[in-house]
Amino acid sequence: MKKKLIEADNPLDKWREQLRRGGLELAILLSVSSTPRYGLEIIRYLQESTDLVVTEGTIYPILGRLTRSGVVDAEWISEETPHPRKYYSLSSQGRRSLDKMLDHWNSYRSKIDHLVEAAGRV
Amino acid sequence: MKLSEAGEARVRGYLFVLGQSLKSFLPRAVVMDAVQELESHIRERVDEAEAEPDERTALERVLQEIGMPQRVAQAYSAEITIEEAITTGRVAPTVRAFWNLASTSLLGFFPALGLLLGYMLGFAALLTALLKPVFPNNTGLAVVDGVPRALGVFSDLPEGAVIWGGYWIMPILIALGLAALIVTQRFATAFLVWWRARRGKSAEFPGWVSSGR
Repeated sequence: MKKKLIEADNPLDKWREQLRRGGLELAILLSVSSTPRYGLEIIRYLQESTDLVVTEGTIYPILGRLTRSGVVDAEWISEETPHPRKYYSLSSQGRRSLDKMLDHWNSYRSKIDHLVEAAGRV
Repeated sequence: MKLSEAGEARVRGYLFVLGQSLKSFLPRAVVMDAVQELESHIRERVDEAEAEPDERTALERVLQEIGMPQRVAQAYSAEITIEEAITTGRVAPTVRAFWNLASTSLLGFFPALGLLLGYMLGFAALLTALLKPVFPNNTGLAVVDGVPRALGVFSDLPEGAVIWGGYWIMPILIALGLAALIVTQRFATAFLVWWRARRGKSAEFPGWVSSGR
């Protein structure tokens, strides 16, 4: 128990978690940017494209929030399968948000890369 | 895997518990949409699964991987209510988020109690200020032998007490009330931001974790 608490307070774990949480929304937007996807498809796409796993309890509330804020459009489609699927796609507002997020991401990454190079840690 | 009547009943039971758990914290339309989406997710997983070694075991495996309905509802409602409270900063979503935390964890109960006291203090001060012109002789600081005893609106003053404070007490009470509400709201938002960060590390809400590949 004590060991677990120490692990939870590990600054590296905390930093990694913050990094993951910060990247999750961007990852979700990227996964629906080229083609509409439904929840399970997004989970699997993220798992296959990266080595990261996102759970049902996390992704659906985030998708719900993104839908309510107009970043993502959601549509129930019932023709494809015996049960309906809710497909998510990027809205025009979401496309603009994603462009800005990617600008920030690339700028931030190049700055960190520059620091890494300057420190000779490549 | 195509579900038998017993399997269908198990899925309906899971979704019923999920819906009931979500109802406590979320609007009806959001609950219906969330349950429908989770149902679609479960059926997708069930369709792909093989009935190995039997339907019951395979279905339980799928449901277990998704998580207990109460746990999924907790994660779902916490994410929605906390996010809404932090993003909007409004009182109603904040109260909903704290109600959610207080009813699902001990650690959330005491800050929720603090929030309640903060709001009550703020609203009581504002109400007292508003009632001063209506009951000028019964509203203000009750002083007994020069010692302040209570602040508010009194139907029966304590024995020997006199009301201290004229109409000038109104702006002071309004300022105090607003300050109490603002401080409480800021504390509440800061706590929710901290809670969200803490929950992100929790094994109970794994969220976004390395598969170890």
